[in-house]
Amino acid sequence: MCGIVGCIGRGDHTVDVLMDGLRSLEYRGYDSAGIALGPSMDVLRKSGELDALAEVVDANGPTGTYGIGHTRWSTHGPPNDRNAHPHTNETGRVAVVHNGIIENYAELKADLQATGVTFTSDTDTEVVPHLIAQALDAGADPESAFHNTVDRLEGSYAIAAIIEGSETVYAARQGSPLVVGVGDGCTYLASDVPAFVEQTRDVVFLKDGHRVIATTDGYTVLDEDREPVDVEIETVSYTAEATGKSGYDHYMLKEIHEQPTALRQCFSGRSDALEGTVTLEEIDEIPQPNAVQFVACGTSYHAALYGAAILREMGIPAEAYLASEYALSPPPVSLGTLVVGITQSGETADTLAALRDAKSRGVSTLALTNTVNSTAARECDHAVYIRAGPEIGVAATKTFSSQLVGCNLLAEELVDGPRDLRPLIESLRNLPDDVQSILDASAAEELVEEYADSEAYFFIGRGTNVAVALEGALKCKEISYEHAEGFPAGELKHGPLALVTPETPVFAVVTGDDERARKTLGNIKEVQARGAPVIAVTDGESDAAEIADETLMIPETEERAAPVLANVQLQLFSYYLADALGRPIDKPRNLAKSVTVE
Amino acid sequence: MPHTSSSSASRPHSAVVLAAGEGVRLRPLTANRAKPMLPAGTRPILEHVLNALIDAGVNDIHLVVGYQANRVRSHFGPTYRDVPITYHTQDSQLGSGHALLQARDGPDGSFLLVNGDQIIDHRIVESVGDAHETAGTLAVVEGPEAVDYGAVHLDGDEVIELIEQPASGDFRLFNAGVYAFTQQIFETLDTLSVERGELPLTAAIQQLIGDRYDIRAVRTDHFWMDATHPWDLLSLSRELLTRGWVDAPAIGSDIYVDDAAHVHPEATLVGPVVVDSDAVIEAGAVVGPYAAIGASSTIGSGSVLRDVVIDTDTTIGPNTTAIELVAGQGCVIGAGLTAGGGPADVVLDDQVYSDVDLGGVIADRVDVGGGATLEQGALIGPEATVGTGVVVRGRIDAGSEVVR
Repeated sequence: MCGIVGCIGRGDHTVDVLMDGLRSLEYRGYDSAGIALGPSMDVLRKSGELDALAEVVDANGPTGTYGIGHTRWSTHGPPNDRNAHPHTNETGRVAVVHNGIIENYAELKADLQATGVTFTSDTDTEVVPHLIAQALDAGADPESAFHNTVDRLEGSYAIAAIIEGSETVYAARQGSPLVVGVGDGCTYLASDVPAFVEQTRDVVFLKDGHRVIATTDGYTVLDEDREPVDVEIETVSYTAEATGKSGYDHYMLKEIHEQPTALRQCFSGRSDALEGTVTLEEIDEIPQPNAVQFVACGTSYHAALYGAAILREMGIPAEAYLASEYALSPPPVSLGTLVVGITQSGETADTLAALRDAKSRGVSTLALTNTVNSTAARECDHAVYIRAGPEIGVAATKTFSSQLVGCNLLAEELVDGPRDLRPLIESLRNLPDDVQSILDASAAEELVEEYADSEAYFFIGRGTNVAVALEGALKCKEISYEHAEGFPAGELKHGPLALVTPETPVFAVVTGDDERARKTLGNIKEVQARGAPVIAVTDGESDAAEIADETLMIPETEERAAPVLANVQLQLFSYYLADALGRPIDKPRNLAKSVTVE
Repeated sequence: MPHTSSSSASRPHSAVVLAAGEGVRLRPLTANRAKPMLPAGTRPILEHVLNALIDAGVNDIHLVVGYQANRVRSHFGPTYRDVPITYHTQDSQLGSGHALLQARDGPDGSFLLVNGDQIIDHRIVESVGDAHETAGTLAVVEGPEAVDYGAVHLDGDEVIELIEQPASGDFRLFNAGVYAFTQQIFETLDTLSVERGELPLTAAIQQLIGDRYDIRAVRTDHFWMDATHPWDLLSLSRELLTRGWVDAPAIGSDIYVDDAAHVHPEATLVGPVVVDSDAVIEAGAVVGPYAAIGASSTIGSGSVLRDVVIDTDTTIGPNTTAIELVAGQGCVIGAGLTAGGGPADVVLDDQVYSDVDLGGVIADRVDVGGGATLEQGALIGPEATVGTGVVVRGRIDAGSEVVR
């Protein structure tokens, strides 16, 4: 999990282009960063956020007319200067940046060490510059040395390299994202389009096995056999939007407040309230599946739990799987099983691996994603976009809300049979204003004053509100670093109740007034008997508000829409808690926005 | 609506927009958002203002926000129509001059300045920008509104004096609130202090004149319109509909319907009318003339609406009759509401406005039961609940519940 950039043909602007590119890839990691420039072979790298590198760059004034850059999220070796990319061979004649994991690096490293090569970092990446140097020493020309090295690598990687004496940027993609930006007399490389979208909108999306040789004369894409391949240049419609915080203190708060707009975009034009029908044009032709398996990670997994729950209510066998477990112990599939991957970025390595596993077993796959043209969208048989707009904050907020609406649209499109969807459509259509009313009047910030020094925070719910409880806890731990756990309310008494004390507030998500709500009221009394303060997140239909110590109110709505609203209150609580504790909300420690390693 | 964009080399390309004030005379509609975010047609007033700036070639927008700032930020985000927006926060609303000072690190060199709550033709912006050569330039409009907006005393095109509250109807030229300034305005504002809780921009202009800076006026007769009171939103919407300044494709003469709206084949749209995205018009409804139906709103079957502004996410039940009605966001109106229209005597802030054509004003998230009646001029505060069959007269406070 890292971001890489490269560029050639921009002359004196090279350093600025690389640094700007890295800045827009910071969401992929910010443990350390570095750049390497040719023909000078200047290499600068620094642990910490990109600003630390920027200071080093300003102080050293490196020169170059082409180069590569990297922003790192640590997988092999702690985040320090030594492990920062670019990595070089012993003499500094080869510099390499890499995103992904080289699975056979231990073996390659042992071979190299046996020939007397000294390693200076703990990374898997460092084998690459040494291998290239070794090939050069053996008499290979730079391009062959690069190809020979890539041929020996196993695992997932996107790599970019520069080699002394060769005015060229070399790159290869296998399992990690890499795109080419085609400029006028110049070429860009990056893990993701935003890195160069201000320079060019003409993009080549590389496939696994592709290699790129970029010079001042242009670029060539080769396959694994080093044969040129014809590639299609696509023009992306990204605007440079997304980068500003619009005056909010944090991207996370901005994105929480953007939810009414995001939800409106997600839903717009996809239903007919007069007819009571939902239409997802993208998947109009998919037959009703016999079973649905969701695969996802993190927040998206919580959306998957919700999606599976609503499909089961509609009579379709459906389960949510953690993507990192799915590929290693795949559940049985049959003809007619649909595997749905939920991934905001469409690049999440675990989810991609699970989808690839499903595909290899011959079942139909669908990506529910926010990112047009992402790997998941391109590799799956079908893609449905949630249209939430760019999300920069590491803690997912608006994309979760839009994923829940996306699950509803998906379920209604997939499952045949006449149903009157008007009440559901009405509730989804009202979500923007319902969310806005919470944003206008939430008591979450005041609650933080009362509970900011608690020992731990617990979140409980039943049915689709289990997903809300788990997501509430995940958000809380991600950005506040406080201990937080979510449980299905009925599970408390089977163990977790031992953790509950007067110092551990319990957030109970209770919506509607059905049996699930009534049973959750019993669980509220259970924890209150142990002295824990209870904050009910409720629409007021049950007695939860009367029983609880505090309430976070949400508007009354249909059962399917209520989890979206309850979650917004919990987002706000976590945000204000983290803010009160002075946490770096947009860049929580050890985390990255989209995780492209398994 | 995008007009043909024009630009000239000398015209300033940066603009400051003042959007920090609540607009208290538009209460109860401003409970959750400032006046610039109230609907003009189906879009916020401020969206029209930014359109005028961008159509006049502005490519760098500085928004001064204050009251309910998050509403502005989340609506426009970091860019609008590909033009970057920088936000400046005015923490306490101490007048237009103080608001402008918040943006002093914003534009380089000369810049345009407009109010975020008044609708202007982009040609007013162009003519002010093109005429700008001295320390300051402002647009003046001829009309009886000088009493409300401040009169301008000219010698040729040189501004001699700004008269805040002219005593008589002697003055025919008023200040349209569209300016171009050099950086000198900031220097001058720095020398002034907030007095009686206010630092108005006009004080700084007066000071510039006193310091012998040349302030010029540009006369314009292009469209300029303000909404002072809640019912003015109806005339504002009327004007915009007449001009076709709506952000939806025309499907017939004067009839504008977003691609993602749903209009039942047996509903009737009478132009001028605009229906925004995901709005629903049910069977048998007759909507228009002069109706603006906001995004995701629903007009129930058999309803008859004319001269209405229905904001986003509001549901109007079946068989409603509404004339000269303003409804805010997220209202739920039961079946069979009757709001028969003005004229009315409306009391607002202890002042009586006579003969106002107003069927009623319903603020955000009001719940109205079936069969209710609004007597002309009724004002219902946000989040109020009105019971079934209630006849509403006069004013209902925010959050209150009226059962009969």
